[in-house]
Amino acid sequence: MINVQNLHKQFKGIQAVNGVSFTARDGAITGLLGHNGAGKSTSLRILYGLLKADSGSAEIDGINVMEQPQRAQEIIGVMTDAHGLYPRLTAREHIEYFAHLRRLDKTLITSRVNQLIKQLAMEEIADRRAEGYSQGEKMKVCLARSLVHDPQNIIMDEPTNGLDVMTTRSVRTILQDLKQQNKCILLSSHIMQEISALCDEVIVISDGQVLMQGGLDELLESTGESDLEEAFMAITRSGK
Amino acid sequence: MSIWLVITRKELLDAIRDRRALLALLLFPIIGPFVIYFMFNSIVDIAEEANDLTLPVVGVMHAPDLVDFLSQSGIKIESVELETGANDEPDVYSQSVLDHVREKIEDRTYDFVLVIPADFSLKMAESRSVNVELFHESSRATAQSKVSRVQQTISFWIQETASLRLMARGINPMVVSPVNVERIDVASPQARAQRILGMIPFFIIVAAFVCGMGIAVDATAGERERKSLEPLLVNPIQRTSIVVGKWMAAATFSGLGLLLVMAINLLALNQVPLEQLGLSFSISSVEVIGILIITLPLAFFATALQIFVGIFAKSFKDAQAYLSVISMLPMAPLFYNIFNTEDRELWMSLVPMLGQHMLLADVVAGKSPPLFDFAVAAVSVVVFSLLFIYGATLVFKRERIIFS
Repeated sequence: MINVQNLHKQFKGIQAVNGVSFTARDGAITGLLGHNGAGKSTSLRILYGLLKADSGSAEIDGINVMEQPQRAQEIIGVMTDAHGLYPRLTAREHIEYFAHLRRLDKTLITSRVNQLIKQLAMEEIADRRAEGYSQGEKMKVCLARSLVHDPQNIIMDEPTNGLDVMTTRSVRTILQDLKQQNKCILLSSHIMQEISALCDEVIVISDGQVLMQGGLDELLESTGESDLEEAFMAITRSGK
Repeated sequence: MSIWLVITRKELLDAIRDRRALLALLLFPIIGPFVIYFMFNSIVDIAEEANDLTLPVVGVMHAPDLVDFLSQSGIKIESVELETGANDEPDVYSQSVLDHVREKIEDRTYDFVLVIPADFSLKMAESRSVNVELFHESSRATAQSKVSRVQQTISFWIQETASLRLMARGINPMVVSPVNVERIDVASPQARAQRILGMIPFFIIVAAFVCGMGIAVDATAGERERKSLEPLLVNPIQRTSIVVGKWMAAATFSGLGLLLVMAINLLALNQVPLEQLGLSFSISSVEVIGILIITLPLAFFATALQIFVGIFAKSFKDAQAYLSVISMLPMAPLFYNIFNTEDRELWMSLVPMLGQHMLLADVVAGKSPPLFDFAVAAVSVVVFSLLFIYGATLVFKRERIIFS
């Protein structure tokens, strides 16, 4: 469960986030929808403890991120929008590295890593060095290493950006699985299709402010449009 | 396992698979010994060559006394025959003969030639003055010591002849030589060899900087350039652990480089013909341990500095630009010590590397350095290292570093 209240963040005079509030509940996929530069990434970075908000609060399962960033980081899995890998390490070594950084038990690490490799269909690249991975393969490694500690809350910044159809589908399946396990999943995207295919809840964000939060149906209903894209356009227009 | 150890282990694994970093680690230690070995051998060669001296002479038959004297002084005489009919006993050699000699020197057949005129004996007998000509090419460095030896030997003969002439006239030869200057050359090959031995501390200090640099850059600027920093920082770990982990990995390589340089240098010194220069270099295991204790902290110092600088850099290129300037640092103590004639003062021990350099110079020269200076230098290096790491941690906590 993620709860964000009235976040503000300014960079060199530019108000990137201007009073963002939303919640993401367990057992649901919540989508943060907005243009490039709307404040999605900044909000998420505050949430996973890499940026300090100027004001407002962010809580994950009741833990205040500003006060206890490390405790909050322990109960979230994050896929950042940077997908850098170490070219000389294999997929398995990447996942193990993060497992060790999260102080997982040795025996648990082996079984967990094998499980993720199987789940994400990464057997072929598991013991190959990351140099020369395709975009999809890189993404799978990023996903696996962010889920290695089986977190209750999962935050993903543009998780399917630049992926082919096959990989996008497998990512979707995994997210649906996680949802079935009653996890709280929060992802950002600027792709309407992605949001409408995956999300139970949508938060529309523009110019650092939340314009609307609700289920897909509610969004369509309140705008009187028939698809999400039109609804999004209508909401952002009226927001301005 | 501590988090910093997890990070160190990963960085080391990463570096071992990096051929470029490994090459730097393995190649650098070999360069120093090569330089030392060849410089030593060339000094030995020069010393030997001076003993083994052959003097080409035009007109050997005109001055048998002088030629005898030269060969008795250990100079081999090679008679130069000129094909131009110049040996027809002219009083003075024609210009073409002299040109011919000059040519022989220019085309490197000879480095120098002594020309004795045909009227040498005649003029000697009449107690007159004769000109002999010693052709040489002053830009040939290796020939210079030989030329001066030839000149010196001829001067001895001249003095002897002059003394004989005076005595024949009943005059004490000492009348015309009121002062005798005796030159005693201290800048012997030994002294030069000692100076080369003095380069070893320099190589060891540079090794500390060179061998850990690849890994220090990769772990800081590299992490930013390939955008793997943000995913790393999302894990619930202290920034200090990350910096320390990376530092220890770089210091491991740096330390290994130091050990390699030392081992290879000592091996090379055993191969150098030091005895031929009248030098003895024997190093005991106690001294080896002493050198290690003096230099190993430098591995931590050098890499702490590199990590600190690397964190500011956004890319490998940036980092390389910054660090190439910093790589000049190890030269500073060497230059300072070359120009410095004063005695050791406290502040010198406090300056990282300068202090170590002085201690190492002592050990290489066979002196045991004062324990107090040793302790001061060690403490200073450790304090500086910790300051750099603390600074790096502070920088690492800035938001700007993560996202730009």
